Amino acid sequence: MTKKEFKKLFHNKLIILDGGMGTLLQKLGLPSGVCPEEWAIQNTELLIKTQSQYREAGSNILYTFTFGANPIKLKEYGLSDQTFEINRLLALAARKAAGDDVWVAGDISSCGSLLWPFGEIEFEEAVESFKTQVKGLLAGGVDLFVIETMLDIQEARAALLAVKELCDLPVMVTMTYEGERTLMGSDPVSALVTLQSLGADAVGCNCSSGPAEMVSLIAQMKPYARVPLIAKPNAGKPRLEKGKTLFDMDAETFASYTTALVEAGVNGLGGCCGTTPAYIEKVAAVARDLKPVKVERKPYSLACSNRQTAAIHPSLPFTIIGERLNPTGKKALKEALLKGDMETVAELAREQVEAGAVLLDINAGVPGINEKETLVAMVNAVCNAVPAPILLDSSNAEALEAALRIYPGRAVINSISGETEKLEKLLPLAQKYGAMFVLLPVDDHGVPETAEERIAIIKKVYDRAKKLGFNKEDILVDGVVMTVASNAHGAKEALKVVAWCSGKFRANTTLGLSNVSFGLPGREAVNSAFVAMAMAKGLSTAILNPNNEQMVQTVRASDALMARDLNAVNYTSLYAGQKSGSAQPQKEKAVSKTLYEAILSGSRESAGELARLGLLSGRTAKELIDQELIPAIQKVGDFYEKKQYFLPQLIRGAEAMEKAMEVLTPELVRDSGDQPHQGTVVIATVKGDVHDIGKNIVAMLLKNYGFKVIDLGKDVDADSIIHAAKTNNADIIALSALMTTTMSQMPLVMDRMREAGLDIPMMVGGAVLDKKYAESFGAHFSNDAYGAVKLAKSLMNSK
Amino acid sequence: MTPVQVMRGLKPQYNKRLIYTRLGYDRERTSLSPELEQEVERLLTLTENTLNITAAYRMVEIKRIDSPAIVLEDDTVLSGVRLAELLDGCDQALLMLAAGGSRIMDLIHRLQEENRMSEAVVVDAAASEITDSALDIVMAHVTTLLRSRGRALTSMRFSPGYGDFEITQQRDFYRLLNGEAFGITLNEACLLIPEKSVFAIAGIGKQ
Repeated sequence: MTKKEFKKLFHNKLIILDGGMGTLLQKLGLPSGVCPEEWAIQNTELLIKTQSQYREAGSNILYTFTFGANPIKLKEYGLSDQTFEINRLLALAARKAAGDDVWVAGDISSCGSLLWPFGEIEFEEAVESFKTQVKGLLAGGVDLFVIETMLDIQEARAALLAVKELCDLPVMVTMTYEGERTLMGSDPVSALVTLQSLGADAVGCNCSSGPAEMVSLIAQMKPYARVPLIAKPNAGKPRLEKGKTLFDMDAETFASYTTALVEAGVNGLGGCCGTTPAYIEKVAAVARDLKPVKVERKPYSLACSNRQTAAIHPSLPFTIIGERLNPTGKKALKEALLKGDMETVAELAREQVEAGAVLLDINAGVPGINEKETLVAMVNAVCNAVPAPILLDSSNAEALEAALRIYPGRAVINSISGETEKLEKLLPLAQKYGAMFVLLPVDDHGVPETAEERIAIIKKVYDRAKKLGFNKEDILVDGVVMTVASNAHGAKEALKVVAWCSGKFRANTTLGLSNVSFGLPGREAVNSAFVAMAMAKGLSTAILNPNNEQMVQTVRASDALMARDLNAVNYTSLYAGQKSGSAQPQKEKAVSKTLYEAILSGSRESAGELARLGLLSGRTAKELIDQELIPAIQKVGDFYEKKQYFLPQLIRGAEAMEKAMEVLTPELVRDSGDQPHQGTVVIATVKGDVHDIGKNIVAMLLKNYGFKVIDLGKDVDADSIIHAAKTNNADIIALSALMTTTMSQMPLVMDRMREAGLDIPMMVGGAVLDKKYAESFGAHFSNDAYGAVKLAKSLMNSK
Repeated sequence: MTPVQVMRGLKPQYNKRLIYTRLGYDRERTSLSPELEQEVERLLTLTENTLNITAAYRMVEIKRIDSPAIVLEDDTVLSGVRLAELLDGCDQALLMLAAGGSRIMDLIHRLQEENRMSEAVVVDAAASEITDSALDIVMAHVTTLLRSRGRALTSMRFSPGYGDFEITQQRDFYRLLNGEAFGITLNEACLLIPEKSVFAIAGIGKQ
């Protein structure tokens, strides 16, 4: 079957796939613990008979029974050297079952081991293992391929490349989702964009979910799909009962979701675990009266990582492409790359994404470096650190291919120009790996001065790209901005190109923004003015420094002005409360008016400042503590007890109080000659236990509520606790333990206290403790941090 | 007993609501300002970016189950009535480990040292939840492997310290999964260090 024929198959018609095979063959005697494929070959007639049932039920495509016939998986049974033959024979069996009127899809699934960086299998090792399987299936005469039940998009890519590099047959790819993402974190849209760009002829989902859950998955994909969508749900959610897996959804109920799936956008439908020919028959009956829906595809340019898709269009908020992973002019990054320091790369990636970059430009062009190795290492570091998709900024074909091959998403090549060598070497790479590219209107004669000359190059490159299957959504046209310091019209010509692209040509655009101001003073102002002008002309994206607040605010303001941020909702949320004249977004809420409010709202910065202002206004430290701080912190505790506040709010209140007390304590000591306190508490986590965050919270709150706290830390033995209590004239000992194995230290400490004649109360806390246990050795129990404060106060009051 | 399989650099999906619940959030009663919610989101992202999650698993035969005892193929005895119920009908057990790494503990300690306790508690709660969620990836991966063999996993998993499944059984998991190879130590009190590490067990039976 050709790809054209495959596409035609789905024209105005719903295609019926097959259903589950494992359970059916088990009923016919497939034992557990053996290689299912080997058993199937030994029982070919049973296999053919079972698969025929799906043909009779109405399936248009049968999958070969080769789900686990990958050499890496077959190795467990000592059969990896028979991969080719196993696949060939099982393909032949499916062919017999299919007859002349049903297509046969060679079924490829996970190799059973995770690919790097999650597991030990290298990408190329996976590709080669899938190729062995593909060769066998081709020899068995399959009409097309299906790659299914994939949890990892990278493994799906490896299988897809394996097929593409061996034949031109159509390929369907379905991923398995747990909820809204695969377990390796891919969302349906990113998976779709990656796979359809890489050449999958149909994309979808199978297994794990029932039909209801798949409606949502298909609906998410449909507006972005350039290929048919397919779904093979399970018969509901499985449950294991006394060692047996049961699926609770019957065939009638399963088929009742057909309409919803079709309305969501599905073009092909089958079943997975728990389904039988009866299920497929019912689905086929419903589908007979339905036609696939046509959904208007969103005209966006789409780049993606394995976890996130970036949609680019002049109607959408401006897309910021972070420039800080380009070592040109950046000494620190150059040095990091020379040293192979990818942690710096990861940190720069995070900083840019946190500041609002949607894509990241990555460049490994440092003299003396192995660009290929470094670019690949940078890609892996960025992928691991952030979900943002990337631009591969290189003209080195070898480096680009290595990076494109292992990138588990859809990258953007920055850039492909009209230069002959670039067109010949880089355009085929973009096609092979399904990448977008930045179209640079430069040719063998250099950078044209005028917009008209650049437009001519744009048309020429696009015509060439169109022949390879690209369309306008696959490109970002670079307006080519030259510095106005040496070219007075540098900015204007670039703006003309942007205007033509977004108007007549209808393609997305980009600019290397900071080029415009090279050599000028006040570069920020020049860049900001230029980006605003360019956005008014329809600029979609730009490569800039996302950590430059002035630039980013200009972009956001321009979004609001150009109705790309309707009603300035995003702009307002980012900059509400900003003082006029300030380029900094106000990230914190408005300053509290009183010290009481500052404690209640947990505003540390305001608390310190308001305490200072309070003293300046003539109030004493004692007045401020008694009239504002103590009532406030008590209110915080009250809110916490009523669950109106949760733990971070309780602690923020305490932190704010600490800040205020830092200001007030010296005044208090000066006024009264002493810092009064409610009592002295020696606190520790017991020996053998290193959990201390709970203990630290208690210590902090006790201090804030006026106690003197001697914190001995964690893993503290009984003698040290007794010694500290004696030395500091402690009023209370407070102990924490989080394990059943360490809580036994507490009665030990109590015994030592008695031996030492230390007659003070002990209070204890920790997740494994309860009141009964504490009372069994004479201690007092509190079940949370605020409870500990109240308990301490009550113990002091009863002294 | 299958060899120990390792999975690195995992970025699990997780339920944010469970993290909020760990922090005492009550959907009906707790009022959360947009600024604080944004701050919590920032800390969740920080936690995700700082965790370096490694998981490991192996499948072991179950010799027999005489509740509460579960005897494994190497005569290791696990004990727990609820655990025995979970594994009832299963002929294999899946032993699992998820470890968040030491960088996350460094972050939590540093935040406390810098008196940023409110941030530390959020990161601490998030790190525990996200690391535990890595076991979902292990289980889904193993489910796919088992599917073609006509076998399936229990949907639940247990960890030592749960109910009557004593924390001291961490020693057996540590040995069977070779915890040392993952930079984890087990102290005398059976505490795993770095602390964001968790062992778990699920059952494998016929489909």
